[in-house]
Amino acid sequence: MKPDSNIVLTLRAITRGLSSLRLTVVLLALCMILVFAATLAQVELGIHEIQQTHLRSWIAWFDLSPGEGGIPIPFPGGMLLGSLLLLNLIAAHTVRFELRMKKAGMILVHLGIILLLLGELFTAVLANESQMSLDEGRALNYSTASREIELALVDASEPGVENVTAIPMSRLRDGARIDLEGFSLKIIRFFQNSEVVAESSAGAGFDPARANSGAGTGHAVRELPRETAMDRRDHSSAFVEVVRADGTSLGTWLLTNGFPAPQSFDASGRSWGMAIRQRRFYHPFSIRLLDFTHDRYLGTQIPKNFSSRIRLENPETGEHRETLIYMNHPLRYQGLTFYQAGFANDDRTSILQIVRNPVWRLPYLACGMVGLGLVWIFSQHLAKAMTRKRPVPSS
Amino acid sequence: MTIPTRRLGWLLPFLCLLVLGTGAWRGLKKPPGQDLRDFGSLPVVSNGRVQPIDSLARNALLSIHGKQRVPGKDAPATPTAWLAELAFQPEAADRRAIFPVLHDEALGLLDLTVDEEKYYSFERLVPRLGKMSEEASRIAAKEPQTWSAYEKAIMKLWRDLERYQQLKFAFGHPSTKQLEFDLNQLVAGAKSAAEETAKRDRGEDHDPLLIEAAEARLRVLREWSTQTRVLTEPPAPGADPGVWRSLADSALAATSEGHLHPSTMAYARLGAAFRDGDTAAFNATVGDLRHSLQHERPSDLRKSRVEWIFNQLAPFTSCMPVYIASFVCAFLSWLWPQGGLRTTAFRVLLLGFAIHTVGLIVRMLLEGRPPVTNLYSSAIFIGWGAIVLSILLELFYKNAIGTAVAALTGFATLLIAHHLSLGGDTLEMMRAVLDSNFWLATHVIVITLGYSATFLAGAIAILFLLRHATGGVPKTAAVSMRGMVYGTLCFATLASFVGTVLGGIWADQSWGRFWGWDPKENGALLIVLWNALILHARWGGMIREKGMMVMAVFGNIVTSWSWFGTNMLGIGLHSYGFTDRAFLWLSAFVASQLLVMALAMIPRREPA
Repeated sequence: MKPDSNIVLTLRAITRGLSSLRLTVVLLALCMILVFAATLAQVELGIHEIQQTHLRSWIAWFDLSPGEGGIPIPFPGGMLLGSLLLLNLIAAHTVRFELRMKKAGMILVHLGIILLLLGELFTAVLANESQMSLDEGRALNYSTASREIELALVDASEPGVENVTAIPMSRLRDGARIDLEGFSLKIIRFFQNSEVVAESSAGAGFDPARANSGAGTGHAVRELPRETAMDRRDHSSAFVEVVRADGTSLGTWLLTNGFPAPQSFDASGRSWGMAIRQRRFYHPFSIRLLDFTHDRYLGTQIPKNFSSRIRLENPETGEHRETLIYMNHPLRYQGLTFYQAGFANDDRTSILQIVRNPVWRLPYLACGMVGLGLVWIFSQHLAKAMTRKRPVPSS
Repeated sequence: MTIPTRRLGWLLPFLCLLVLGTGAWRGLKKPPGQDLRDFGSLPVVSNGRVQPIDSLARNALLSIHGKQRVPGKDAPATPTAWLAELAFQPEAADRRAIFPVLHDEALGLLDLTVDEEKYYSFERLVPRLGKMSEEASRIAAKEPQTWSAYEKAIMKLWRDLERYQQLKFAFGHPSTKQLEFDLNQLVAGAKSAAEETAKRDRGEDHDPLLIEAAEARLRVLREWSTQTRVLTEPPAPGADPGVWRSLADSALAATSEGHLHPSTMAYARLGAAFRDGDTAAFNATVGDLRHSLQHERPSDLRKSRVEWIFNQLAPFTSCMPVYIASFVCAFLSWLWPQGGLRTTAFRVLLLGFAIHTVGLIVRMLLEGRPPVTNLYSSAIFIGWGAIVLSILLELFYKNAIGTAVAALTGFATLLIAHHLSLGGDTLEMMRAVLDSNFWLATHVIVITLGYSATFLAGAIAILFLLRHATGGVPKTAAVSMRGMVYGTLCFATLASFVGTVLGGIWADQSWGRFWGWDPKENGALLIVLWNALILHARWGGMIREKGMMVMAVFGNIVTSWSWFGTNMLGIGLHSYGFTDRAFLWLSAFVASQLLVMALAMIPRREPA
C-alpha cells in the first residue's frame, strides 16, 4: 500500500465522520443550549459582553452563580459550533453531492446557511459601530465608539489644525510605557470603569494613586465593574505620568472621560492637550443636524416618529445636500449606514448610530437562497402528498 | 344501535349560532332608562387614539378590577354604566369595592388584613393615600426590573388609583354638582374680569374682586387640566390631524374665546341629567352630541361606533364555547366513529373560525394595521393560524384530529389572549420603531405562523402520546398523525426560518445589524434550530414515530419561551412586550409539557 493512500483513507474517514447527520443533530442541540444559556446570562452581563465572550468566542465560560465566585463551566462557544457546523455542512455536501432537480432545493438551503454562517463570522470580524451625537445646527466629522475609549494627545500648535495621536484602549495597562517624540507616557493605573470623587469624600476601596498636576488633583478613583446596560457608558480613568526623554517627570495627571476638556502640558517645545475620550473615527465628510423632530401620539408620551434632517458636507466630492434620516429609513453613504438611534437634551440633540459592515448584503443573499430552497422542498413534499393515495379515515 | 346523529349534523352548529345570536342581540339592544348604549359609543381620545367611551370604561375596569363587571347589588350592569357613575356621581362610585390589593405586605402597609374582603373601595383607600404616595414615589425611582412582588403590587394599585381619578375628572369635576352653571359663570366672569383689567390698565376705576375671582377660577381649571388625559372636545371639522381637547382645556380656551364649545356644555348637561335621573334630558343630550359629531367628525363617530359594536359582540369570547363544543364532538367521534359526529365537529369548528376571522378583520380595520401588533393580537393570530393549518389537515385526513387540535389550540390561545387583555388597551398605538406596516405584515405574520405551526405539531403530538398512553393508537390513525406532525414541522421550519430572517432584515434596516443576539431574536433562532433538529434526526433515522412526537411536544416549550419567556428577561431592544404575571403560567405550561414527554417515555410492553 502506498503511504499516501493511507492519508487518503484517513481523510475519507474524517470526512465521513464530519458529514454525519448525527453530528448535525448534536451540533444543533449544542447550539440551542449555548443560545439559551447565553440569553439567560445576558441578564447579568449584558448583550454586548455575552456577544463577545460567548457567541463570538471559541470557548464560552458559563458561571452558574454569577458574582459569587462560582466555578466557571466551559462550553463550546459560538465560533467553535459555527465552524463545526460549517465543516459538517461542507463535508456532507461533498460526500453526498449529486446534482439532481430533486436535490436542488436541499443544496440551495444549505449553501444559503453556509453563507449565513460566513456572514456572521465576517460581521464579527469586519463590522464596526459608532455613534454621532449631534446638536441642532452643529456639524461633526467624526463618530465615537460607545464602548471603547482612547487616550488622545492633541497637538494644536499649527493654527486651525489639530494633530491627534490616539492610543488605543488595549495599550492602556497598569505600568505600561508609551514612547512618543521627545517624551513618554507612563500609565500608573488604568480603570476601565470607575468612580471619581473629591479626595475628602473617598472612603475605603479607593485607589491610593493621586494626581499632582491638572484638573484631577485632589481627586480619588475607585474601580467599578463594567456597565452592562446598553444605554450606559463606562467612566474610564487613568493616572498618567509624563516623563521627559532625560527621565525627569513632568507630573502625574488624572484623566477621565468625565472631564469636559483636555488637560495641557508642555513638552518638546510644544503644548499638548491630553484626554481620555470615547474612541473617535474621523470621516472625510461632515454631518450637520438641521432639525430633529420627535412626534408623539395624540395626548400621550408614546413616541410616534423620530427624524433628523441633516446636511451632508463633503469637500472632496463637492457634495452639499440635505437628507432625512428616520425610523426604518437609514442613510447609506460611503459604505457607512446612519440610523436614527436616539435623542437627548430636550429633543435638541439627535443620536445617530453609524455602522460600517462591508458584508451587510450577505445575509440578504443567503436568506434569499434558503427561502427559495425551502419553498422548493416544501412544494415538492406538498405535490407528493397531494398525488399520493389518501389514507383511509381512521375507524 | 344507530344514533340518529347523522341527520342531526346541522343541529349543533345551528344551536350554537342561535345562542350566540341571542347573546349578541341582547348586547346591542337599547337598554331601558338612560341611553347608556349611545353614550358608550361616543368617541373620545385616550391613550393616543380615538375610541368609544365604552372601550375607555372596559379597559379601565379590566385593568383595575380584572373583570368587566362591578360586584355588589344594584351595581352598574355594564362598564359604561360604571364609568357614567364614576364621572357623574363619583360619591356613589367611590363606595364600590373594585380595587384588589395583591400582596399581603401591601395590605399591611394600608392597615388592612387578609381576612377582610378581597376588593376595596376608593372610599376605604382614601385615608391611606398618603402612605401609599410615599411608597410609590420611592419605588418609582427604582428600575422596574428590580421591583419586588410587594413593590409591584403597590405600584399596580397606585397606577390604578391614578387611572380611576383620571376618569373621575374626564367628564366633569367631582367638586361641583352644577357644572353647566359654573362654566357659564366662568366665561361671563372672564369677560367682566377682562373689562376690569382693561380699566385698571387705563388707570380707571375698577373692581379688583372680579379680577381676583376670575384668577381663582383659572387656577382651579389649570389644576383640573392636569388631572385627566381623556380628551372630549373634537377638533373643528377641517382640521387635520386635529387637536382634541380635554374638558378642562376646553373650558380654559373658552375663557379667552368667550364661548364654550357645545360638546363641553353637553357633557356638563349630561352630568346633571344623570344625577337627576332625567332620562329624557340625558337621551336628548347624547343625541345632540351624536348629531354634531355626525357633522364634524363623521369618520371618528363611525369608527367609534364599529368598535362599540365589536366590544358588545366580543367575538373572541364568543368563539371559546364554540371551540369547546367542537372539541367535545371530535372527541366523541373517536368513541362512536359511525355517528357522523366528525362532520358535526368540523361544522361547529368552522362556525367558531368564521367568528374568529370576523373579529380579526374588524380589529385590523379599526387599527388600520396588519393583524399582529402586540402580544395580545399575537395570541389571537397564533390561534387563528393554527386553525387554518388544521382545517387543511382535516380536509386532507378526515379523521377529526385536525378539528380536535384546532379547537384545542383555538380555545387555549383565546384564553391566553383574554388574560393578556387585562393589561390594558389592546388596540394601543405602535411605538415608533414598530411603526411600519410593511414589516408588520411580513416578518411578524410569518414568524407568528411559525409559532402557530410549531404549536400545532406539538398539539397533535400530545394527542398522539395521550392516546398512545391510554390504550394505543390504531395503525391507520398513527400513520396519518405521523404524516400530520411531519408535514406541520416542515411548514413550521419554513415559516420560522423565513420569519426570523425577515426580522433580521428589518433589524438591519432600522438598527443597523442583521443579527444582534437579542433575547427575542435568540428565541426565534431556538425555534428554527429545534425544528431543523427534529427534521435532521428524523432523516438520519435517529428517531422514529414516538421520538418525533416527544420532540414535537418539546417544540411547545421552545415556542412558549420565545413567545413569552424572552419578554420576561426585560433586556434588549425587543423588550417592549414586558409581562410579569405570566411567569407562573409559563412555568406551569412547561411542567405540563415535560410531564407529557415523561409519560410517553415510560417503556410500555407492546401488544404482541
